[in-house]
Amino acid sequence: MSPVPVALRNILVVARREYLWRLRSRSFQLATLVLVVVAAGVALSPILLRFVNERIAPVDRLGIYVDEAAPTVDVVTALDRLLNVPDPGAVVAAGGTGVGAGAARRSFIVVAVDDLEAGRADVVAGRLAGVLALERTPDGDLGFVLYSRYLPFDRRTQQIQQAAGTLTIQDRLARVGIPPGNQALLFAPAPFETRPAGPTDARTGSSEQLIGGTVLGFALTILIFMAIVLYGQWVAMSVAEEKSSRVMEIVLAAARPTELMSGKVVGVGALGLTQYVLVVAAALVAIVFQDRIAAALLGGGGSIDLPSGLSIPLLAAFGVFFVLGFGLYATLYAGVASLVSRQEDVNQAIGPLMIVATLGYLIASYASSGVIPIDSPLVVILSLVPFLSPYIMLSRLALGQVAPWEPVLAVVLLILSVGGALWVAGRLYAAGVLLYGQRPGLRSLVRAVRAR
Amino acid sequence: MSLVLNSLSKRFGAIQALDGISFTVEPGQVFGFLGANGAGKTTTMRIVLDILRPDSGTVTWRGRPAHELPRRTWGYLPEERGLYPRMKVLDQLVFFAALYGVPAAEATRRVRDWLARFRIPEYADRRAEELSRGNQQKIQFIAAILHDPDVLLMDEPFVGLDPVNVALLKEAFIELRDLGKTLVLSTHQMEMVEELCESIVIIDRGRIVVSGPVGEVKRASGRRVVRLGVAGDPALAWLADLDGVRVIRSGRDYTELYVEAGRDPGSILRAALARGEEVTRFEIADPSIEQIFIERVGAAPREETTLAAAPGPTPVSEGR
Repeated sequence: MSPVPVALRNILVVARREYLWRLRSRSFQLATLVLVVVAAGVALSPILLRFVNERIAPVDRLGIYVDEAAPTVDVVTALDRLLNVPDPGAVVAAGGTGVGAGAARRSFIVVAVDDLEAGRADVVAGRLAGVLALERTPDGDLGFVLYSRYLPFDRRTQQIQQAAGTLTIQDRLARVGIPPGNQALLFAPAPFETRPAGPTDARTGSSEQLIGGTVLGFALTILIFMAIVLYGQWVAMSVAEEKSSRVMEIVLAAARPTELMSGKVVGVGALGLTQYVLVVAAALVAIVFQDRIAAALLGGGGSIDLPSGLSIPLLAAFGVFFVLGFGLYATLYAGVASLVSRQEDVNQAIGPLMIVATLGYLIASYASSGVIPIDSPLVVILSLVPFLSPYIMLSRLALGQVAPWEPVLAVVLLILSVGGALWVAGRLYAAGVLLYGQRPGLRSLVRAVRAR
Repeated sequence: MSLVLNSLSKRFGAIQALDGISFTVEPGQVFGFLGANGAGKTTTMRIVLDILRPDSGTVTWRGRPAHELPRRTWGYLPEERGLYPRMKVLDQLVFFAALYGVPAAEATRRVRDWLARFRIPEYADRRAEELSRGNQQKIQFIAAILHDPDVLLMDEPFVGLDPVNVALLKEAFIELRDLGKTLVLSTHQMEMVEELCESIVIIDRGRIVVSGPVGEVKRASGRRVVRLGVAGDPALAWLADLDGVRVIRSGRDYTELYVEAGRDPGSILRAALARGEEVTRFEIADPSIEQIFIERVGAAPREETTLAAAPGPTPVSEGR
């Protein structure tokens, strides 16, 4: 057998063990399940909150006492419309899915009250949530008094106040002589757009695209950061376990250290990716289907747009930086972990690397949120540095402000560093066998690399 | 055609772990690799396995440098015993075998065979941490031979085994030898060496002090051992006055003595009879390996810090 297939075979054998061994563990399955549920829950939380609000919260009966105010509109009908804000999907819901009548989604049932005193008695008795009394102020405007059990800062009080304000404006416009049909035009929003000042600015998109890029940059760097922190630690733990159980010497006799190291990183990385894909998929499914879920739960729903700017090249870049970034950190975690004797010492030993990982993430998020200008020379240089490029270059890519050679250079440097990390970590791993019982330190680290 | 170690040297910081170790193991032999703890046995084995690189010297097997040979040439039972604690016995043995290129089905078959031979077939699906030390050790032995290696390096294979398991393991060794395998074993149990080994090397502080076929080693010492029993006088104080005789051990029934090369062992018997003693036992034998070991290394095989726990290596010379 030639050496290359043997090395590849060993990497795959080690990776397979790491993958299956952890995949079968109860704790992994449980954690994944919890994460999937949490991810879906977080993605659906706006809908769930609305569902709780609208479906489960009690529908309040609001009495309207008009008396002599003589408004220009039918107050009961107008308030009913204003307080029960119509959903864009209501028509779909009412027409298509079997959700039943729209009345069930109301926050308020608005009824006319003929006698203010009787109405107030009903509020006290709990038959009505409140009575809204209309009057004319001396200067001719509509005035409102709300008799209710609500606290002044209750959301419902504010809703009623807002509706009352709208009613007042409609009343004023009507008194000036503007018909209701023209009123809609008056309230239409103005067209508004932001554009870069310089003609050569790399930012080509509209403000919406820029915001999308920022959000994307955030999301993608968080994904990489979490993978490094969580799954990189698994690699380190796995190495420490091999060392503390002294099984290390058996596997070292069977395979070369770089093969063992690569296999571990590939196996744990693949498992991490599996969990990741499941969790992200759960969230994405929840987001994609939230219209339908909302329709099912609420009989309608507002859609949340996916961040614009999510392109195939960007996804490919994310994949490359994800794999290489994780590979670099996980390999070094493994190397450092092979110097400690007990699993408890792992976190202490990988601490410095963790700080570097966090630093890269923070710089990237500052840069993409504009705290540091993303086109500043510092950020541009840091985006090429191997330990930081997975975050920073990705953020810059998401905002679309990169010359083509820059990500290429960053990836080449990353690949070289992963190779170097494998070499160093392999030597540390091999030397780890000789260092049972020693505390991790820079001296033993340097010695170990040079020993074999 | 043999395993040749040629002037291996290795230094860890201030400690010269190996200082010009050379010896040859013939194929198909059971070879005893002896020495006190810390003498350099484990370091030597690790160098043969290419886990460590020597500062100087070479290892060849059938004429090829050890580090160029495929890893499946070697089977290794390390001194530091270890298994994946929470992995099932069968799973991890199949994993180890896979690293040597043995297909899973074949490995499973071999594992089941060996477990049956070692009378623990029911442990295949147990987790390693549930097994007793002795049984874990048998699992490790299986791990070392599953891939059918040509050369077996066994670091203290008998430590911690009860007599029944020692017998099982010994049987396995003999069978492997009969299959043409080469076995190098380090042990502190000298009776095992007498029983199993054809040739031995004794190293002390990184140097070889004794080497050769067991019979030759014994004869080369030039000494004979005499066991003399005399009725009613277990002390035999008068022996101390004889030239070329040294009491090794005073037992209840007999006294054991060294007789130097220049002296006729028969003269001891004659001296006893001349004193009018009633001799109950007189026996002439070669010195045991244990006695040679004690004499050459200076103390009985002792338990102390191993090289594994010695201070870490410093860059005295680059390994490659």
